[in-house]
Amino acid sequence: MMAARIPAEERLTNLVVALMATEIGLTKQQILDNVSGYRQRADAGTRTDALEKMFERDKDELRTLGVPIETIGDPSDPNDLREARYRIPQAEYDLPADIEFSPAELAVLRLAGSVWSAESVSADAQSGVRKIRALGIDGDEPIIGFAPRITARDPGFAPLQEAIEKSRVVEFDYLKPGEDAPRRRRIRPLALVDYEARWHVFGVDVDIDAERMFLLSRVAGEVAVTGEGFDPELREGAGDRALAGLDRVAASNSALLEVTPGTEAALRLGRRATAAPQGIHVPFVDLHILADELASYGPEVRVVEPEPLRRAVIERLSAVLEAHRDPEEAR
Amino acid sequence: MSAQSKPLLAADRVRLYLTLVPYLLEHGQVSLAEAAEEFGVTPEEMRSMVEKLTVIGLPGDSGYWQQPQEMFDINWDLLDEDDVIEITNDVALRRVPRFTAREAAALLAGLQMVAAVPAVSDSGLIAGLISKLSRGAADAPAEVVVAPTAVDDVRQVVARGVQEGVAVSFTYQAPDAAPMTRTVDPVQILITNAQWYLQGWCHMRQAMRTFHLDRVSDPRLTDIPIEHGDDSVPEAFAAAANDGEVSVQLPLRLAPLLGSFLSAADMRTVDGLVHARLHLADPRGIKRIAAKLGGGLEVVEPAIARTATREWAAAGLALYHQPDPSVRTVD
Repeated sequence: MMAARIPAEERLTNLVVALMATEIGLTKQQILDNVSGYRQRADAGTRTDALEKMFERDKDELRTLGVPIETIGDPSDPNDLREARYRIPQAEYDLPADIEFSPAELAVLRLAGSVWSAESVSADAQSGVRKIRALGIDGDEPIIGFAPRITARDPGFAPLQEAIEKSRVVEFDYLKPGEDAPRRRRIRPLALVDYEARWHVFGVDVDIDAERMFLLSRVAGEVAVTGEGFDPELREGAGDRALAGLDRVAASNSALLEVTPGTEAALRLGRRATAAPQGIHVPFVDLHILADELASYGPEVRVVEPEPLRRAVIERLSAVLEAHRDPEEAR
Repeated sequence: MSAQSKPLLAADRVRLYLTLVPYLLEHGQVSLAEAAEEFGVTPEEMRSMVEKLTVIGLPGDSGYWQQPQEMFDINWDLLDEDDVIEITNDVALRRVPRFTAREAAALLAGLQMVAAVPAVSDSGLIAGLISKLSRGAADAPAEVVVAPTAVDDVRQVVARGVQEGVAVSFTYQAPDAAPMTRTVDPVQILITNAQWYLQGWCHMRQAMRTFHLDRVSDPRLTDIPIEHGDDSVPEAFAAAANDGEVSVQLPLRLAPLLGSFLSAADMRTVDGLVHARLHLADPRGIKRIAAKLGGGLEVVEPAIARTATREWAAAGLALYHQPDPSVRTVD
């Protein structure tokens, strides 16, 4: 008899059901012989080593879906997996029964789940909300009138998130403004940080063994996730350390600016400024990003200090002027 | 949670089954349309997935086929005649699974983002939700941090207008324009790229408008009930019919910086250089965007916009005693 083609989702779901139903675990051979999806292939003469490879891939696939698969090896030789048994421990699979969500909490989570504009992250957020709704909770009236949005367009975002989850070292070329060529960096990535609408990765720069922040928009080319791991303990509290670091940088970098009252520059900069005897003080974390903004204000703002910021703004305005000279204009 | 057009991958279907089964068991009988809406698939897709659920079951035993009670089953008559789903026999997957690391990360970051929304921060639910999501995750999520933003008086007052459904009146100062008093029926507060915008019905313009809250001062709540709260909000930064058109060119790598100004329909790329047409209420407003990109973007047409850009940069430079050497000035 020809084996009917069993779709992958059917085989995978049958595998979950089988591994959940067993207390003592199933051996690989029992799975290949009995679970629908493998069984038919075995009957049709598919080689055992090919089926075993399929089983290994299926286990990985299910683990990325958050399904915990426990391997019970030979107690006298834990590395010998020939007689290993596999099972899904219900207690690790189930959302803990003592975690409950109120209708008001569900309304907040639905708003939180709606903020992502990136398709893949948005799907993850929706899937999480769905699990809570599957508990039988119907939310309060949705929170309307507010539309917060997070964008994550940088191509480095997804590989960095994966590397953080797996505690793996990454490599990428990083181009700092003012440098001619990008430099290769090796990082233990610990957290992704959205600060002033720009994504950063916070991590340990392996070469100097110190925590640093990198702007994703300055990553040139692809982020490579290496096979080298690091201690997941490093990730503990990384987000708080990253934010504290940014606050420290902002507190120690301040621009002294003169703004023309009643202009766009006065409005926009005024929100985050403190008054100074001469003009206003505006804290900043990245000189080049502030210089871009200040250049956009043209004659509405003058940088008094620091000198590198002053030079950066003059450089930008000069380049704009140069790019817009007309051919007939005398030099 | 609208129906998605993309075909589902095997992993998506498995993930869907793991939540669909407890959802159906919890809800008893659910219409096909409602379940499809909840899971973001088409009704046909949902019907097919529910039908295929009946081939999922416990493993057979040593070559014997499974007994009917070892398989999932549904009420076929109810599905065929009334388009209603009901599981009549279940064999596993009864409990809602834990959140995957990705689901938890997406929701945790979303919560940090919505924490700034007054309707949410007033609820005091954020901290509890963060702890529940972290505890309910199958694996430690990658830390994705959204730096908190300050919510000033302007934002508070406008948010109250949205929540209480009354018009707000304020001084609005658009760039390069004199301040005006505007009264607006607030419909929605859009928070994107770390900027807050009020979208609503402008009493003076008699139309939907988007206001940047940094340009709002002296906001007052009126006692005028809103009349246009149900109108659909405008596409946030959509061009208006009478907007001017500006032709620009810039290197491809800078194009993402234009964000929502750039629409695919209005751009073409030749040899790494993007030629684009942007829509602005006043074509001269391009000077600010051009200056922000520091000479990377060149304004091509109309001449009035190109000249405005050149003069903007020259006037800015003049503050640093670096006047355009090609222009003769009398001090």
